Amino acid sequence: MNLLRRARKNKQLVSGSILATVIVLLGVVGPWLLGDYTDQDLLLGHLPPMTSGYLLGSDALGRDIAARVVVGIRISLIVAISVTVIAVVVGTAIGLVAGYIKGAVDSMISLVVDFIWGFPLILVAVLAAASIGSGLLPVILAVGLVNTVAIARVVRGEVLGLSEKEFVVAARAGGYSTMRILTRHLLPNIMPVVLVLSSYYVAVGIIAEASLSFVGLGAQPPLPSLGQMVSEGRNYMRLNHWESTVPGIVIFVMVLSVSLIGDGLRDLLDPRLRTAVERASSK
Amino acid sequence: MKIIFSRIVSTLLLLLASSLAVFAAIRFSGGDVTAARMPASASAADRELFRKQIGLDQPILKQYITYMGNFVTGDLGNSLTSNARISSLAVEKIRNSLILGGSSLLIVFLVGVPLGMIAALRRNTWVDTGITSFSVAGMAVPNFWLALIAIHLFASTLHWLPSGGQGGFKSVILPALVLSAEGIALTVRITRSAMLENIGQDFVRTLRASGFSERRIYFKHVLRSSLLPIISLAGLRVGQVVGYALVVETIFGWPGVGQILVNAVLRRDYPVIQFFSLLLVVVVTLGNLLASIGYTLANPRLRK
Amino acid sequence: MSQTPLLELRDLSVGLKGDRVEYDIVRNINLSIYQNEILAIVGESGCGKSLTALSILGLHASPPLRITSGSITYDGRDLTKVSPEELRKVRGAEIAMIFQDPMSALDPMFTVGTLLTSAIRAHKKVTDSAAEKIAHECLADAGIEDPRRRFGEFPFQLSGGVSQRVMIALALVNNPKILIADEPTTALDVTVQAQILERLKDLKNERGMSIMLITHNLGVVASVADRMAVMYTGEIVEIGSVQNVFSVPQHPYTTGLLGAVPRLGSNSVALVPIIGRVPLPDNLPKGCTFADRCGRVVPECGVNRPELVSRGAAEVRCFNPFR
Repeated sequence: MNLLRRARKNKQLVSGSILATVIVLLGVVGPWLLGDYTDQDLLLGHLPPMTSGYLLGSDALGRDIAARVVVGIRISLIVAISVTVIAVVVGTAIGLVAGYIKGAVDSMISLVVDFIWGFPLILVAVLAAASIGSGLLPVILAVGLVNTVAIARVVRGEVLGLSEKEFVVAARAGGYSTMRILTRHLLPNIMPVVLVLSSYYVAVGIIAEASLSFVGLGAQPPLPSLGQMVSEGRNYMRLNHWESTVPGIVIFVMVLSVSLIGDGLRDLLDPRLRTAVERASSK
Repeated sequence: MKIIFSRIVSTLLLLLASSLAVFAAIRFSGGDVTAARMPASASAADRELFRKQIGLDQPILKQYITYMGNFVTGDLGNSLTSNARISSLAVEKIRNSLILGGSSLLIVFLVGVPLGMIAALRRNTWVDTGITSFSVAGMAVPNFWLALIAIHLFASTLHWLPSGGQGGFKSVILPALVLSAEGIALTVRITRSAMLENIGQDFVRTLRASGFSERRIYFKHVLRSSLLPIISLAGLRVGQVVGYALVVETIFGWPGVGQILVNAVLRRDYPVIQFFSLLLVVVVTLGNLLASIGYTLANPRLRK
Repeated sequence: MSQTPLLELRDLSVGLKGDRVEYDIVRNINLSIYQNEILAIVGESGCGKSLTALSILGLHASPPLRITSGSITYDGRDLTKVSPEELRKVRGAEIAMIFQDPMSALDPMFTVGTLLTSAIRAHKKVTDSAAEKIAHECLADAGIEDPRRRFGEFPFQLSGGVSQRVMIALALVNNPKILIADEPTTALDVTVQAQILERLKDLKNERGMSIMLITHNLGVVASVADRMAVMYTGEIVEIGSVQNVFSVPQHPYTTGLLGAVPRLGSNSVALVPIIGRVPLPDNLPKGCTFADRCGRVVPECGVNRPELVSRGAAEVRCFNPFR
């Protein structure tokens, strides 16, 4: 298939997918291979990487950094992906309805959506943590809310544009039900945009979870979140910087891989962006 | 003009609604300071009396109006942990955050827009590849980690700059740069793609055919069209700066609104949370409003 | 045609140079435009007529397109060899150009007035009031009824017809000798088309301008042009006076084109389409590029490429022309 061949030639998509596969494998299989991440041995603290039994060294409490990192990856993935899936489903539905039905319904939805969208994710999460207490739940709620409205906004815009197109007008004239037009005619056309967006929002979710856990408002000990590991290691930067460097690099690679996938998908799937790029090469 | 007016009105209404929502959320969740103020041995009746004294038995709307009345007169209550008057803390915190956020916004646009333009003008050369890769990496690196690396390198190891705190011009450099990294990356990206998209427009060919110089075409006409997405971005940036300032101020020990809010949340210091979160909601909303007005003014279609 | 041409294209080829591909899209164009005439270039879309026109002012997308051989002589200079700055001074001031889609051809962020006055300033130093005066005159000359009002308007406030008139005014402000009009009426309503064409004709007569009119519309050619060149697959296949080519077409492609135009009151009952497809520029047949679709093929057509030769009052690229 033509799309598949183009996908294989897309460097960003290929490199992003390889990185993402490695990350997901680590998150899924790693915790099972690397043993108990809670094992402490205060005599074996601050070990550098490649010490026997401690592939990536140990932290202040003598816990295996590698074992903790893979669990951190798992938590991060679960939060980011599950939140994004929910945001995509709910956001797409809201955007479809608002964009297609228009009128007062659209005005109300848009007002609320635009307003929430104006708020930075981190602030929303801090407010959520302030009202329901620190932990993964406020992070999930905040990321979910902000990403949902972000997707709803874009989908609404797309649908507004598409509903003037001939194929939708024809479907309406042909007497198809609104439900059928929404699901059979509009949905397939906005899927590429939603797909591209959702990969960016997985990245947003990873960063948000890590940032909040870093300042102590996200995952609570003993759950080893990557952001929290960076935070715990910061006091020992001179002694053994790996304690925060390793989880930091892991977060970076995770975010990088999904953004690369997002960029790759954008070039691959969104014809308008492609033509914009191609047009740019002509005077 | 009509658009701007209706934007202002709807923003004010939403501001009212959201401040009420934030107020209610925090008050319901634990903003009831009874537990914090009364000894654990206090009886239920005593607690009830205390609640009555400070007005917690009133309906939420009434509490909100009372709070807003106090808010306007500058009576913001006391911190639960330090017992300091919040109004006396606020001025300094706000000033510090304005310094940090303002310099970050300046850095983002003074660095990001030119870099994006350079990448667009030198497209498909190593310069473009370099700038674009930098921006992809800049968006992927978590800024709290960047902050740690920056402190480790420039403060602890090289001793060039202070690691934070508030000691004049030098101490703002590291936090402002870290706070700007993601914004620069995003601005580069948006500027570059907007410039490229506009360079490909038909009107550029017309300008060339009329004998306009390349420099004039890029720096006046193409840039002018590309400013619209950049202006929208600026509005969002205000929000992003506020959001990430929470993290960055905490790391660098920058005594601003972000740091005090995060600490307050960690210590469940509700009066402090209440005031500073409302403040940030106002700032973000006004930032969005300003960007939307700017966008309207910069776009002839909307201005007319 | 004994006078010296204003602009002369000699053996001009424009090609595409990509990573793996390299071929000419426009080949060996010989074309002259003289003082005070309208020369039409006719052909189907994709025949290279627009590219030929764009390459005169160096406006073709470069890269990947580039001029691969030949010369464009204007005022004793070869425009393919001059510096970018020298070429810029020619654009708009000596040779101006208008385009097919006027609605997207005007910068949306600036008023008509700003656009016109800064186009004047691109070539000469003038005071604000002098520039405004020229702009008003040119808007009026382009057939705009209320120049003062249009002066302060933004492109989105203009209709297609008014936009094209503003484009014409923009082309006139520096008083060029030649106007290249690339499908100027294609995107417009029929009534507006006629007005714009009349205006072009008036400009030729009033200002003594020469106009190179690119079009696929033979009706347009018949109503305004003095001479015409017919292009097919990047080459000129027939060139001569409009009267001549219309009354005695010699190339089978030209007759095909004329046969494909509906004419009111003519005797022909049915339109005669040209059968077959245009070969693509990266895959041209060895001999004549029209041979596959031609009804007058002789054996040589499949072997050699015909040259453009004088025959009667016109020049034709064919081994077996009519008459």
